[in-house]
Amino acid sequence: MNKTTLLSIKEKFGTRASDSLMERELYSRDLAPVPSWLVKLLFNALPEIVVRPASTKEISELMKLAWTEHVPVTPRAGATTVFFNTVPVKGGIVMDLNLIKGIVAVDEEQMTVTVRAATTWGELEEYLNQLNYACKSVPSSAPAATIGGWLCMMGYGPGSLKYGSLMSQVKAIEVVLPNGRVQKYSKEMTPSIDRYAASEGTLGIITEIELEIRALTSMKHFLFHVPDIEHALLAIKNFVGRKTIPYNIHFSDAHYMRTMKDLGMAHWDTKCGCLISVDYEGSVEELSAVEADIDMYMKSDTLLTRLPDAVAEKEWDERFRSIRLKRGGPSVLGGEVWMPIKNLPSYMRDLEQMANRYGVELITYGHVVSPEHTTMMTALFADETSALKYMLDLSLVKKIQDAGYRNGGCPYGVGLWNTPYIRRIYNRAGLKRIRERKRTVDPSDIMNPGKIYQTPFMLNAVHFHISMEILAAVRKVFQKGW
Amino acid sequence: MSEHVPIYTTLEKESLICARCGYCRNACPVYQTIGWESATPRGKISLARQIFALDNKEKMTDEFVQRVSQCTLCGACAHECATDIDTQRLWIELRQRIATTGKAPKGYDVLRKNLQANKNITTTGNDERLDWAQDLDNADHLKSRIGADVCYFVGCVSSFFPQASEIAVAVSEILTAANINFTTLGGEEWCCGFPLRGCGFVDDGRQFIKHNVQRIKELGIHTIVASCPSCYHVWKKDADEYLDGYELNVFHITEFIALLIQNKQIRLKAMHETITYHDPCDLGRNSGVFQPPRYIIQNIPDVTLVELKHNQMKSLCCGGGGNLQSVDPELTNAISATRTQEIRESGASVIVSACQQCMKILSISVRKAGLPVKVMDICQLVLKQMVR
Repeated sequence: MNKTTLLSIKEKFGTRASDSLMERELYSRDLAPVPSWLVKLLFNALPEIVVRPASTKEISELMKLAWTEHVPVTPRAGATTVFFNTVPVKGGIVMDLNLIKGIVAVDEEQMTVTVRAATTWGELEEYLNQLNYACKSVPSSAPAATIGGWLCMMGYGPGSLKYGSLMSQVKAIEVVLPNGRVQKYSKEMTPSIDRYAASEGTLGIITEIELEIRALTSMKHFLFHVPDIEHALLAIKNFVGRKTIPYNIHFSDAHYMRTMKDLGMAHWDTKCGCLISVDYEGSVEELSAVEADIDMYMKSDTLLTRLPDAVAEKEWDERFRSIRLKRGGPSVLGGEVWMPIKNLPSYMRDLEQMANRYGVELITYGHVVSPEHTTMMTALFADETSALKYMLDLSLVKKIQDAGYRNGGCPYGVGLWNTPYIRRIYNRAGLKRIRERKRTVDPSDIMNPGKIYQTPFMLNAVHFHISMEILAAVRKVFQKGW
Repeated sequence: MSEHVPIYTTLEKESLICARCGYCRNACPVYQTIGWESATPRGKISLARQIFALDNKEKMTDEFVQRVSQCTLCGACAHECATDIDTQRLWIELRQRIATTGKAPKGYDVLRKNLQANKNITTTGNDERLDWAQDLDNADHLKSRIGADVCYFVGCVSSFFPQASEIAVAVSEILTAANINFTTLGGEEWCCGFPLRGCGFVDDGRQFIKHNVQRIKELGIHTIVASCPSCYHVWKKDADEYLDGYELNVFHITEFIALLIQNKQIRLKAMHETITYHDPCDLGRNSGVFQPPRYIIQNIPDVTLVELKHNQMKSLCCGGGGNLQSVDPELTNAISATRTQEIRESGASVIVSACQQCMKILSISVRKAGLPVKVMDICQLVLKQMVR
């Protein structure tokens, strides 16, 4: 960016623009536990300026300037992901959108809410609950994740099993396109709003969203213990296939159970087998029917143990706090995999073999997000203060993704760090389609460049594969001295 | 919602444990006012990780020190933290580390010098501690004495600042009316140590706690009542190591008055007002005292108690905590304006708190906003409504 452009931005936005080094460095990271020195070596993650626009008009004006001057723009709000989706890789401008928040309107006839994009899911849910409404689904980081942010990702989390992806609930959006034009899209229009789902801020900046809501209802929480993963799959299939579809199903393996127990954060006593949380929402009558149905199912499955209701409720209360696992770290590395539920046992067996091979404990938990799919998080403890060991441990993240891939899965989210797997996420036709769309909307590639569509040279599949395999091999050799 | 017990190991380890999830952002009054990532708890911890855990000492810039001082120590971030970090302790340790480098804000040094010289936060000598009591009919019993059942720990602000001294007077009159045999530490009451701790001068603060505990032991008193939430917090949480087994019942004045009402030692007369209550951070979220002040208000016949939008565990800070006013008064004003907006939205005609600092800050803010709302400390309210 030339000096004149930088100065004009500073002049226009005043105290809402910052080129302080300390500030810019904070905007050059997200939750990803990648060492700063490694990031610096690979990319220009340091923005030249950070701007906090307060309206769609200001976003539009800034985009027009960036479009004219060919300056990269990286949109950012909650920054609650680990893929560098909201971190620049080519410097430029970071647009902090957190001022674009608030509820615009609730349409009680249509059962929709219109909300500004940087409102968090926690804020929206709190607002709706006061009116006796609720979100249909929320991300597992709802207290901090924003409405626009989750739409820019794949949009699956608690509630998706019953109500589908966020995309299926969105009726209309307002977007500032890379050229600065403000465009409203509805579900019926062509091109459709679908293109913005999982676009990760590469096609424009979403500023407002109209989405479906539901009536606030009672909930009933169940927590089951099963002896092994095969039985877990059987039970999950059964719950998904019964008359009343659960609002949410969460699964955690024995390593998770043991770790949480050791950290003093478990509400249960066992350290083996698997835990399955099953949550229902509905009228009191519906929930009574569910209770009776579960009782009946329990009679037919003697290996399924139901834990006390109080424990199940505590588990539900902790649904946004899986990250507390990090107390066992201090660092945690992991991979999140989108995969078919039916392959859960083989994935877990794969992980077990990998854990034995590398002498590491792998902790796995996840949500069932559709009748066929689950998102699984597999994590391992590490220590980023030990640079070499940490680098070697990083290689295991690829091994986790490889295990997922072998079992029909792919990474959940792309951003920067998952671009080496782009061909696992999209098939050839799909990749061609999204690349063409990007070229049409953003020919100069100023909108969050370096994400999704192409693997950067430093991360290209061959380099990435070879370097990770070498690191993994070294780690395997030295694991005994770990 | 489950309650979580905050955990603290070391600054280095906790800064590495922080997941940067950002659950703290929305709860933080400073971030909500400033708006920059560097003002978020996660941003500050992220910088602390660079400086202390990853040994990048050059990141200890004046800008960072300023951000660390821009915190009201309200504890909202600790309550929201997904990894259960006791951020309150983390902020204190961070300020402590900064203090050892000599980079602490000038306002902190001024405060420390006053405290070292006068044993209170003002420039007034400590022998004037009981000046607030000169208008009382009989103040002899307030001079430090053996044989009292209760010690009223007045606190620096209520002892030396005219507006706040009305709280001390109210407490004294309430306790007298309830026939409580009480006294104070008089000129031997030193600052509770909380302001020093909040500036990062933790060891200095300990000396003050030690002194006050020693005086209480010498008087043989086993019940202490504080009207200042910060003093109360120190007596409740930090004095243990010096009490060394000495039995001491610690009450905030709201807890004590609630008991007096329960035991029918005082009665309250009717008041036709809509009252809202502001939870002081050190009394509510940080000490867990939520119900006694509400119980007192609800025991005033004909009063309607309405809650502020953010209340109890999720209460918003008034902006006056954490020594913020001494380093960034404009930020204090901006934060209090947010709280004042909630007071406006509540429709209350009286805003009651149980902290002299909250009362001071909210009085200014309510006046600036032109709100037709009366700001009162709960002791003033009780004194006004007490049947004599």
